[in-house]
Amino acid sequence: MTGQTLNQGAGRSLRLRHPVAGTLAVAGYVIMIVPILFVVATAFTAGSTLRFPPEGLSLKWFGEAVAYSPFTEAVVSSLELAVLATALALVLGVPVTLAIHRGRIPGKGLLEGLFLSPLVVPELVVGLALYQQLMIGLHLDNFTTLLLGHTALLLPYAVRVTGASLALADPALEEAARGLGASPLRAFVTVTLPMLRPGLISAGLLGFVTSFNNVPLSLLLQTRDFRTLPVTMLDYVQQSYDPMVAAASTLVLAATVVVAVVAERTVGFAKIFGGINR
Amino acid sequence: MTTPAAELVGVSQRFGSFTAVDSIDLRIPRGRLTTLLGPSGCGKTTTLRMLAGYASPTSGRILIDGQDATRTPPEKRDLGMVFQSYALFPHLTVADNVAYGLTMRKVPAPERRRRAGEALELVGLGHLGDRRPKQLSGGQQQRVALARAIAIRPRLLLLDEPLSNLDARLRVQMRAEIRRIQSETGLTVVLVTHDQDEALEMSDEMVLMRAGKVVQTGAPRDVFPAPADRFVAEFLGYENFLTLADGREAAVRPEHLRIVPADAPLDGAADGGVVLDAVVVDVAYRGVDLLVTLDATDPAGAPVRLVADHRADHRSDHSDAATGPAPSAGDRVRLLAPRARLALLTAEPATEGLS
Repeated sequence: MTGQTLNQGAGRSLRLRHPVAGTLAVAGYVIMIVPILFVVATAFTAGSTLRFPPEGLSLKWFGEAVAYSPFTEAVVSSLELAVLATALALVLGVPVTLAIHRGRIPGKGLLEGLFLSPLVVPELVVGLALYQQLMIGLHLDNFTTLLLGHTALLLPYAVRVTGASLALADPALEEAARGLGASPLRAFVTVTLPMLRPGLISAGLLGFVTSFNNVPLSLLLQTRDFRTLPVTMLDYVQQSYDPMVAAASTLVLAATVVVAVVAERTVGFAKIFGGINR
Repeated sequence: MTTPAAELVGVSQRFGSFTAVDSIDLRIPRGRLTTLLGPSGCGKTTTLRMLAGYASPTSGRILIDGQDATRTPPEKRDLGMVFQSYALFPHLTVADNVAYGLTMRKVPAPERRRRAGEALELVGLGHLGDRRPKQLSGGQQQRVALARAIAIRPRLLLLDEPLSNLDARLRVQMRAEIRRIQSETGLTVVLVTHDQDEALEMSDEMVLMRAGKVVQTGAPRDVFPAPADRFVAEFLGYENFLTLADGREAAVRPEHLRIVPADAPLDGAADGGVVLDAVVVDVAYRGVDLLVTLDATDPAGAPVRLVADHRADHRSDHSDAATGPAPSAGDRVRLLAPRARLALLTAEPATEGLS
């Protein structure tokens, strides 16, 4: 029996044995996917309003979206910001994770709480605080401020998700490496880092997506020189009601699907997100 | 006399107000297998970890090959350690696990492969080098951990309760296996265990620990018949404690108390040992023998409860052709403990550590 038929069998028995859970799961998928289908359908319209059903079939709005420079510039900005913020969050977060899980320091709970707090504090409050303190107070430019804000936003993922794979690894592994002659650094590179790999990949993906999609922080900290894609699209929708925004959304969606497929083919979702559930 | 392979001098380890290891002195003889034996919390694992360099002593000195190694980090000690959890690297193959220490030592690849192969052969797993640790059984993982520690030709091989995660049959097999490897390689081995049978069977030298202190050391054949105090005696399975007529305390094992009829002739069977009149309180059938609980009065006049293994004849009811039927509750009997079977204990009162 292949894994696929096994999964299908499990799905069928879930619906049969747990009718309520099964129905809710199906309803959940419908609620999440149907609105997206409407957007995608609208993007292929030949008409000039954001309306369903689409009037005729055309790719012209895709052409418009790709040619619209505020969007293309914003894509580059968003990618830049998401990549840098994710990298920065991992560089800061991994040592913190190591300290929490392996270090001999007092107040680990407090430290972990501190690094998870951006999850709880409303982003608008964080955004306003950053705006006042960094942009007005310290006169930082808005890219730097956004980068700092997004990094803070992603730190919980970096700490929590990499921490999950570290918590699963036997602490004796690093001791074993040391005993066999590895310096602390070599033990980290040859043993700890490979243990962290699934956690790093999932934290990286989650962080990237979170930053790329973020609206509240980016909205508060935007200026004319640097705008992210979600904010630019939001601005656009407020001024115009043509289907170009649906076409742009569809392109973003397609790119996301490609990334997801590549991730699934190379690492596997079970591995990437396995660290979170356990 | 040669330098001991390792030596602990006045070594203590304190965690806050808790003293895990309390100023112990220990010499690990070269080329022998030494076990650190004691109940959990006695400091045996902490002692091993200090020897390995994973914990540094609060005070005292650790010498390896006569050189001070108290502050030497683990990677510079050249010791092989087998962890209780085995700690095999899950992302490496078995062969790469075994070769890890050689890679760290920058041994050239051909020699590395050869030596890792030899180490795997030594533990009988030469054919499994390409597998991942997860694909092996617990017993095989344990052998890989052993091979990995041996491959670096360590100055000491340290084993932290290596058999405790194996099932009973495998555990007994591995005892012999570790002994074989020790004698084939001539390595100095330090093994931590809480299992007295394991220690008795495997050790050249036993170190009994209690509450962070060494209570007794010696070869199993010397320690077993002559436990130093009540703690060691209880730990080694002595269940009966008597105060002799001269006030000294003695321990007797259940299998060394003989139950005879109350009117049996003494015919010198006691030869300076102990003869007690007793009443049978309970008899439990255990297949190979009967476990008989008795009430008696010891030579000093105090009431004692004793247990005796009664294994008479070859009949399943343990009755005996010479002395009649097996004892049953309420019987008045006579108990004999030969002089040679009385283990005289030092005056030290001590049992609170064991429970």
